[in-house]
Amino acid sequence: MAINSHKIGNILQNFVSQTADVQGAAMVTPDGLPLASSLPGGMDDERVSAMSAAMLSLGERIGQELVRGDIDRIYVEGDEGVSILTSCGEDAVFLVLAGKAAKQGVLMLEIKRAIAELKPALS
Amino acid sequence: MTLDSHVFMTTMEKRVNFSSEDKAILKSHAEWGKAIAPKMAEHFYDYLGRDAEMNGIMNAKEGRMHRLQKTFIQWFDEMFTGMDDWGSAYADRRWRIGLVHVQIGIGPQHVVPAMATVVNEVGQQLKADGKPEELRDALGRICMIDLAFIEQAYVEVSSAAVLKETGWTEGLFRRLIATGAGSL
Repeated sequence: MAINSHKIGNILQNFVSQTADVQGAAMVTPDGLPLASSLPGGMDDERVSAMSAAMLSLGERIGQELVRGDIDRIYVEGDEGVSILTSCGEDAVFLVLAGKAAKQGVLMLEIKRAIAELKPALS
Repeated sequence: MTLDSHVFMTTMEKRVNFSSEDKAILKSHAEWGKAIAPKMAEHFYDYLGRDAEMNGIMNAKEGRMHRLQKTFIQWFDEMFTGMDDWGSAYADRRWRIGLVHVQIGIGPQHVVPAMATVVNEVGQQLKADGKPEELRDALGRICMIDLAFIEQAYVEVSSAAVLKETGWTEGLFRRLIATGAGSL
């Protein structure tokens, strides 16, 4: 079955608009190419995609090297908010940008739900 | 990101127009090349040795300088003989020479001007010995191919190390370079 990029785009848009304090989301390939994105204005999705794939891949290598097992997610926290990178199978990386007010527990649950929705659209 | 030395050699031959006429003239002057090789090695390493950093690298281990000189003489000779008619053996050896340069830290910034010195010295020798201009051109072309191997080895080895350590795919790495370079 072909990748349904329209559906992926819709899922991302719904996720961003309906989840509290989420500011953007993107699905990218491990090669750093954008599959779909809903990012704040001014962000270059090509650059964001390359960085996201690079970060997750590097995190996986660190996990291996430091014997931390398989990496579930990478969490980058700044004083303006968080970026969360989650592996979405072998073919994609899910990036979520959230404000600092975002509740971590809610965010993780929403990400888990979004990935459950996204995975069928990828296969 | 492992370079196929034979494919690289073929590509470079086309790129610099290294022709069968070039090969023929080089082969016919193989004895001359062999005779002047030690003198060219001296020029090459004299030039590099004037740089404090290079001098340090070349003399970091006992016997390294001697081995480097020996390798240079062999390398110079092979430019004329072509080993296997500038085929796979020639390409593999050029690739290996490139790797050795990376391993001991002699970078393109040092090799390129040193090679230019050799080309200049060979040119003078050629004139003094009454050799044809076509030989100078052929030597210039094969020198450029060999230099490309050394430069490419730096790129390939650096990239391979980054890919190995980060787990990045080759496509991602190229993308990061392209987006990064675009923002400089």
